[in-house]
Amino acid sequence: MKDVPDNRVLPSTPIERLRLHAVFFFFFTGFIYVAFGLGYRQLLQSNDLKDLSDTQSRRVILRPPARGQIIDRNGYVLVDNRTRWSVKADLASLQKEFRAEYSKKYQAEKAREPLHIDREKLLEDAKRDVLQAWLNKVWFVIDETNKTSKTYKAPPRHAGLSTPNERNINIEELRKHLRERRPLPYTLVSDLAFPGTGQALTPNEGTKSVARFIEQFPVDGPIRLDSDIIRTYPHGTLAAHVLGYVKDTDELPPNVDEIADFKFENLQKLRYTGKKGATGIEKSYDSSLRGLSGWELWTKTSAGYNQTRLQASESEQGSNVPLSLDYRIQKAAEDALAKIKDSQGALLPGAAVMIDVNTGEILALASQPSFDPNRLADRVSTAYYQEVEKTGGWLNRSIQGLYPPGSTFKVITAIAGMRNKVVDWDDILQCGPSYRMGGRDFPEHIPEGYGDVNLEVMLAVSCNVWNYQVGERLGIDRLAREARRFGLDVPLLSKSGDSEDGEMGGRSTELPSPASRGLVVPDSAYKLRINQGPWNPGDTANTAIGQGYLLTSPLHMACVAASIARGETRTTPTIIHDPRRDGRHQGAEPIGLNDAQMAAMREGMLRCVEEGTAKSVRIPKLPYAAKTGTAEYFKKGEKAHLAWMIGYAPADNPAVAFCVLVEGQFDTSTWGGKTAGPVAKEMLQAWADTARDPAEQAVEPAAR
Amino acid sequence: MDQNRQGARASYIALTIFVAIWILLPSAVRRFNREAFSEFQAPALHLAGKGRDLAKFWELKSRSNEEMAAAGRDLARINAALELKLKSMDDVRRENVRLRDITRYKDTADYLSVVARVATRDSSSWWQRIVIRKGRNDGIRPGSPVIFGITVVGRVTAVHLTTSEVDLVTSPSFRCTAYLEGDEQNRIVLVNGMAGNSLGSARARISVIPYDYFQPAGQTTQVFTTGMGGVFPSRLLLGTLESGPLSAKEANFKEGQLIPARDLYNLQEVSVLVPLHQTPGEALLQTDQLQ
Repeated sequence: MKDVPDNRVLPSTPIERLRLHAVFFFFFTGFIYVAFGLGYRQLLQSNDLKDLSDTQSRRVILRPPARGQIIDRNGYVLVDNRTRWSVKADLASLQKEFRAEYSKKYQAEKAREPLHIDREKLLEDAKRDVLQAWLNKVWFVIDETNKTSKTYKAPPRHAGLSTPNERNINIEELRKHLRERRPLPYTLVSDLAFPGTGQALTPNEGTKSVARFIEQFPVDGPIRLDSDIIRTYPHGTLAAHVLGYVKDTDELPPNVDEIADFKFENLQKLRYTGKKGATGIEKSYDSSLRGLSGWELWTKTSAGYNQTRLQASESEQGSNVPLSLDYRIQKAAEDALAKIKDSQGALLPGAAVMIDVNTGEILALASQPSFDPNRLADRVSTAYYQEVEKTGGWLNRSIQGLYPPGSTFKVITAIAGMRNKVVDWDDILQCGPSYRMGGRDFPEHIPEGYGDVNLEVMLAVSCNVWNYQVGERLGIDRLAREARRFGLDVPLLSKSGDSEDGEMGGRSTELPSPASRGLVVPDSAYKLRINQGPWNPGDTANTAIGQGYLLTSPLHMACVAASIARGETRTTPTIIHDPRRDGRHQGAEPIGLNDAQMAAMREGMLRCVEEGTAKSVRIPKLPYAAKTGTAEYFKKGEKAHLAWMIGYAPADNPAVAFCVLVEGQFDTSTWGGKTAGPVAKEMLQAWADTARDPAEQAVEPAAR
Repeated sequence: MDQNRQGARASYIALTIFVAIWILLPSAVRRFNREAFSEFQAPALHLAGKGRDLAKFWELKSRSNEEMAAAGRDLARINAALELKLKSMDDVRRENVRLRDITRYKDTADYLSVVARVATRDSSSWWQRIVIRKGRNDGIRPGSPVIFGITVVGRVTAVHLTTSEVDLVTSPSFRCTAYLEGDEQNRIVLVNGMAGNSLGSARARISVIPYDYFQPAGQTTQVFTTGMGGVFPSRLLLGTLESGPLSAKEANFKEGQLIPARDLYNLQEVSVLVPLHQTPGEALLQTDQLQ
């Protein structure tokens, strides 16, 4: 039997063995390479790779915090936060509906025009249509449930797509959302309690609207109810210029560095639109009010939607800011200002200030016309902005308005005269119907003149000729020096601590943009500086009665009144309440009058109320000292009258000082005591009530 | 052997074809099938419920005379106390009638109350859903609130001919607005059922509690319906707020847990408050016209 070679055994020739070893070696080397690679990545690179994976598959969502409250000196809440309920669509849950709608559209388009199908547009249209269908359902519930409300007016249901209302999906906004904030829910109705711009639902109706949606809209599904915090100003226009309002911001929150340092330095960060102060205290104390953001760590799907929330940290509400304002006095001031109207019944612009004589804390700071910050809390509509602009409501007249102080300045002329010994408290000056200075006759208020006038009488009746004479004896430079001693050219409301907010020309202020560069205390060099020629005695006469180039703000004049009440030259006003504040005022020094002179000054201002130009606004049982003024100024190119009144109360033991200004018309109807006086009277009565019974404050809800 | 294999293959093929047909069936047909299954199941549920009632009856019947006498004495005491309370309410009732006469106040009933026995609990979500022995034939409509006494039990979610499914307060698909007792400003909070753990007790979540709300120390805070949502009448008791510190949630709100007012496990009978007028929510469920 012949042996047949067995093909099933391994070759055994040396060449074949060599090939076999080569193959073994090749595979072994490959295995070692893979094993080392695996070990290297698992053991040495694992942390880096994990970080990389996290970076690609996770994201951090930053949530803005609730802002702090703004409260008055008694803890009464002036600015608060309210819950805003919004309806949002979870885009991740709507993927199936998007696809189904797209498929439907695609088939229709294919049947119509198979060659030119714009898939991107179809997908965009499908998303819009799906969201529009859900939005219609939301509105159905809102409209049906609000039908009974008398104030609710449903906008047209199917207005054109170009109509910018919340009934239609705005394609541009949707595109932007999908591009920039795809993982965040898409907002269908931003404020359920106040649906649609201009809908005048009462708070109760608004809450009912929210409740109806909560209970009647299906719980399951892609439409979610979301709640966040929005700024609310419970008293509407009250102290609006002081409080300010907020605006949207995309700025990163102040604690973003801490969040990044924690572990998410390289992760994608998305944030809900936050708010920051736009004006007023909201702006100047923004860093205190805004708080610290919260964050959530999410995994994301390959399409970029959120998948699972892994970790979260709560945000921290901002600090409360206690203002020195007293709600009752502020309200009295604003109510009184609102009663002052011209012959056509239109509101006259004005300002009212009351400050604590000892501490300088501002108890009331009112400016008219005003605005409603609630209408600006979400977003500023152009129509409302223009409406306020037209009335001049953006200007805070009490600190930003610049006006000639008129006869209220005569107190400074009198002090300058006595300090420079050109007149004394008991000197009697002959005051006829006019006084000639620089070749021009300067008239008195009354054609017959006041005759023999001393300091007290001058202050009581506001005699012009007395001041012309004293001004002439003083000269403009000594008069200007005295005005500067009282700080009429010094910007007020500087912040005491370090802060980056409310800054004006490198100066940090308690309220944004108080009067600074526009303040004018003219002297002989001033007129040359503004190219108006050399100074002449007529200019001095004008300045002595608070006219001419002199420009100041109502807050400055309130400070002058407070300083005189204390017998000092300066008062440092502040809008922030501090119970431990002492009575020291920056740059203050004694006025420099002897007792008799000071007594005459005070007596003159008291007589102004008791028997002089302010006698129509006497308050029984509350003797107070005042000086009225009626100035001329140019308003939109036309001459007009300004009504002024400054003073302090009580006359014998001053506690508060005030200043009221009203921009009137150029007619005989606007006079200091007659026009501005009632506002001062209302403020003083409110102060007296508060001082008599501070516990009454407790009738209203206090700050938490 | 081959025959067995062929038989097995045939059964797999049949199953595949059935599944494929089920998937491809129009949704209306599938819905009809599901509905038909519910109706088919209904007699069994009725029977089970009645059987349980019978068992309870015989269980009570088997009690000794002493036990019954003791229970009778207790009931008599409770009855006497309640009668006394009723007497004291007479004045209030008379005053109420007088004021209504003066103001010509017409009390329009918004709901029709339908009493229903509990047939069973849905075993797929033990704490979350019950089936009651009243349905479309009895005028029950989806979305109607379900109560026991003055406490909220849940809300009707599905209605069949003779049975209805009720999502309990603890069901994740239950949501309503509420007031917290002691919050003088009456700010609304949100009550939402929580997916429960099968061994734990049923709970619901109370969210959107204002950050400045603080639970009175040492007191139980009751949670009431607001009546603002148009579904639940006002001042019905939902339960109590679990004592202890509330957790801060969503940056600006607090969150707590609701302990339901009724022992949902032992419910035997409930009342369904059927709204006399259709609510928008119902309309939304019934119609697709908005699409």
